[in-house]
Amino acid sequence: MNKIVNTSNITGLEDASYLLSRYEITEKDISNIKKYGKIIVKRLDEYVVHFYEWMKNQPEYTEFFSNDKMLISVQNRQIEYWQEFFAGEINNDYFEQRRLVGETHARINLSLDSYLAGANKSMTILMEDLYDNSLSAKAYAEAVASASKLVNLDSSIIVSTFAELTNRTIAEQSETLMKMSTPVAAIWQGILLLPVVGIIDSKRAQDIMNAMLIKIAETQSKVIILDISGVGMVDTAVANHLIKITKATKLMGCECTISGLSPAIAQTIVELGIDVDSIATTANLKDALESAFSSTGITIKASP
Amino acid sequence: MKTNELRFHIASEFDVKLAVLQAGKFASAIDSNETVVQKIMTTVSELAQNIVKYAGVGHIHVRKICRSDIVVIEIIAEDTGPGIRNIELAMGDNFSSGGTLGLGLPGVKRLMDEFHIESNAKDGTSVTAVKWIHDK
Repeated sequence: MNKIVNTSNITGLEDASYLLSRYEITEKDISNIKKYGKIIVKRLDEYVVHFYEWMKNQPEYTEFFSNDKMLISVQNRQIEYWQEFFAGEINNDYFEQRRLVGETHARINLSLDSYLAGANKSMTILMEDLYDNSLSAKAYAEAVASASKLVNLDSSIIVSTFAELTNRTIAEQSETLMKMSTPVAAIWQGILLLPVVGIIDSKRAQDIMNAMLIKIAETQSKVIILDISGVGMVDTAVANHLIKITKATKLMGCECTISGLSPAIAQTIVELGIDVDSIATTANLKDALESAFSSTGITIKASP
Repeated sequence: MKTNELRFHIASEFDVKLAVLQAGKFASAIDSNETVVQKIMTTVSELAQNIVKYAGVGHIHVRKICRSDIVVIEIIAEDTGPGIRNIELAMGDNFSSGGTLGLGLPGVKRLMDEFHIESNAKDGTSVTAVKWIHDK
């Protein structure tokens, strides 16, 4: 039960046979599907007509199929898909084609729901509407059951490819956001400020440290303020990173003040039992700035 | 949609972040006290990171439970990893087999109101941590 098949990377027959046995598809099922294929494959043009009569009334039609060229290409691919399906050759090419379908749906943002609804409708057209009654009742029932199994297997590949690509997109987006979110700014002669927003993980902590140290070297600043009022959560790992950042800046001759500790975060840090004696902290940015001015010898006066 | 239970599959730092953010939202819908929300998020973060670090894969459940006298938020972290060799040692401050502060488990115990841990090499590790929410 714990075996995880990476459907994006089916290379060996071992995975193919694993999926076939997982969906309980036997030699008999394949032969049932092939037998039914002899009836239906020659009528796939009719299938396309039926399918798009239905599709026209679906909400996604105008958005995705209004372009004639696009429509014809999709229809051709659909015919190929079902030809492969009824040919019953379940091998790497077969899986690769299913993977492509999932990939295409994910890329153009066509929902899984519309794929599954389409697969469902296709089965109705192929197994009921276009059936010519040429098989015995028993053989027909078996063909329907076998085809359903294979459709489920197809769906599983398409769904997992779709999910994998969607997750990858989310991960990439969050990475991009993080890259943008280490803006170290010189706010005064000798004083740097870095506001951090969101959740800090070890990768991001490393980015923050790098950005700070580089900027310190560039500007020869004596004070850096790390404002964490926008940080949602502090745990032992984040606290550990903050301590390390403070130590590293100190080595470069720059004092680091961490500002913006909320009451909730202060309490949590104390109860976690973290020794914060080595870091300078303030409740807000204003206090941090005042102490930065005084330690760099700057006095601010209102004009008389 | 109102739900009284969250379940997360934890296998990467990305999963940890997602679980922390969602558990935070979940907790703030039950109790608006920021300290409570912070403690829930920190607990989920510590336990989920332990899963990634020591077991690789596991699950986190976050539930709201109405007891006769009190409403609680229960966090369960489960994995089938190698288990903790010496629980007493792991529950002591500043012990870490992973090169970090070593305050995660004892810290979580202090943050929460109830804490229970079971671990062995055969079944892996299961941690249950409960926070009492006083206003029902």
